Amino acid sequence: MEQQIAELTAKVAALEEGAGWTTTINMEVYYWWCIAFMFAIHAGFLAYEMGASRKKNVLASGIKNILALAFIIPTFFFFGWWIYLAFPNGFVPDFEAGAAGRPWDMAMGPNLSDNATGVFWGAFALFAATTASILSGSVIERIRLSAFIVLAVVLGSVAWILGASWAWHGSGWLLTEWGWHDFGAAGCVHMIAGFFALGVLMNLGPRIGKFNPDGSANDLSPHNLPFAVFGLMLLIVGFFGFLGGCIIYAGNGQWVSIFGNPTTLSAVAFNTLMCFAGGIMGGWIATRDPFWMMSGALAGIFAAAPGLDLYYPPLAFLLGVAGGAIVPQIDKLLVKFRIDDAVGAVAVHGGGGLFGVLAFGVFAAGYPNTPEGAPDTNFMGQLIGAASMALLGFVPGFGVSWVMKTMGALRIPEKAELMGMDKAKVPVAAYPDGWFDALPAGRAATPAE
Amino acid sequence: MGSPITAWEGATAIFTGAGGVTPGLFLLLSIVVCLAAIYHGARHETHSYERNRLE
Repeated sequence: MEQQIAELTAKVAALEEGAGWTTTINMEVYYWWCIAFMFAIHAGFLAYEMGASRKKNVLASGIKNILALAFIIPTFFFFGWWIYLAFPNGFVPDFEAGAAGRPWDMAMGPNLSDNATGVFWGAFALFAATTASILSGSVIERIRLSAFIVLAVVLGSVAWILGASWAWHGSGWLLTEWGWHDFGAAGCVHMIAGFFALGVLMNLGPRIGKFNPDGSANDLSPHNLPFAVFGLMLLIVGFFGFLGGCIIYAGNGQWVSIFGNPTTLSAVAFNTLMCFAGGIMGGWIATRDPFWMMSGALAGIFAAAPGLDLYYPPLAFLLGVAGGAIVPQIDKLLVKFRIDDAVGAVAVHGGGGLFGVLAFGVFAAGYPNTPEGAPDTNFMGQLIGAASMALLGFVPGFGVSWVMKTMGALRIPEKAELMGMDKAKVPVAAYPDGWFDALPAGRAATPAE
Repeated sequence: MGSPITAWEGATAIFTGAGGVTPGLFLLLSIVVCLAAIYHGARHETHSYERNRLE
């Protein structure tokens, strides 16, 4: 009898160990595939940005976009992850909490006792690269590559991740002190990137030929709109990896959001699809333009992103419609102020994110938060968070680009801009056989062409 | 440099040089490479634009 009990005990212990490993490996696999899916965001941004460029700049735009990834990933290893772990209280670092994010820590490399740090770091590095790609599209065709790389690192490995530490962290001060909620990172990813881009664009100035002396704008058409629209759809594929990375897989109970409240992937599936559809519809109603329809799909997701875990799906749909319809108007407003945002990133990410963050305060106040002492979700918390995210994006974007502008290191020379960046500095040609050489019948060249 | 372990039993951090000084050197070298790449890129841009200004 005693021997049988001992054997059973050993079997239970073996089963428990096996189940524990299954849970750990499942968690690791889950985030592994989130990272892979998030690469679709970057493939989408690459297609989007190259398609939106004029043919004389298409490869230079592609190079810039690819290098954003190349520089964000190592710099996010050097200091980005440490910033995330160390700054949930504001601007004063918690060195103890941040210790595991130091690049020389034992957790920051192959470690058989840590299955989590690498995949979480990887997912956050891809979020960081997303912010840099958002900036990348808005500044095409006139920014110096080296200036862009520096700005991308400041945005992706410093500004956004500081915002994430405040607004996308279980101990972030916006959650614990103000009851902030933003499931899908509309604030720390999209608002920060959008407002950072706005600050840069104010110093960078418009592309030559975009505006006439009387202030009216010319249409500097994308050289390959179908490619840009395809890229936008590819972005949506990547968003399922992005949103998957917004949920915590513990493996021993219900999923939880990054704020600690229980949720389900089903909730996110309902609402992501509904607001995506609404965004397309909003963009279509407002413009009939496929570029803005797909940008509307993105804006629709951002408009509902803070509450993807909580909204009633038709509400997410309506927020998507509103987001998709509003962002082209925001872009028109920016044009009136002579802000030349080549892909509408400020409107879509900054405007759409802002709308989403505030809408959550209106439609989803009163949900309990799990950290002890944290207030319930509320509009004031969303408002304070929105202002923080806007400033955290705009101030470094404007400040660093202003310094570069005063040093003459921000913008390419006029002659190179007129000639086209590909011819000026890229050793290969995008369309050597003359594809896209002719303008469509009946369309005259714009001043910059 | 090389393996930080002599057996797999009980091993935790297994990256090359874990617990030694070489990871710090590689980290420093990586940072230098990133900075040098930006500098190199900036120089290439400047030369390209100056060359095109002369043509």
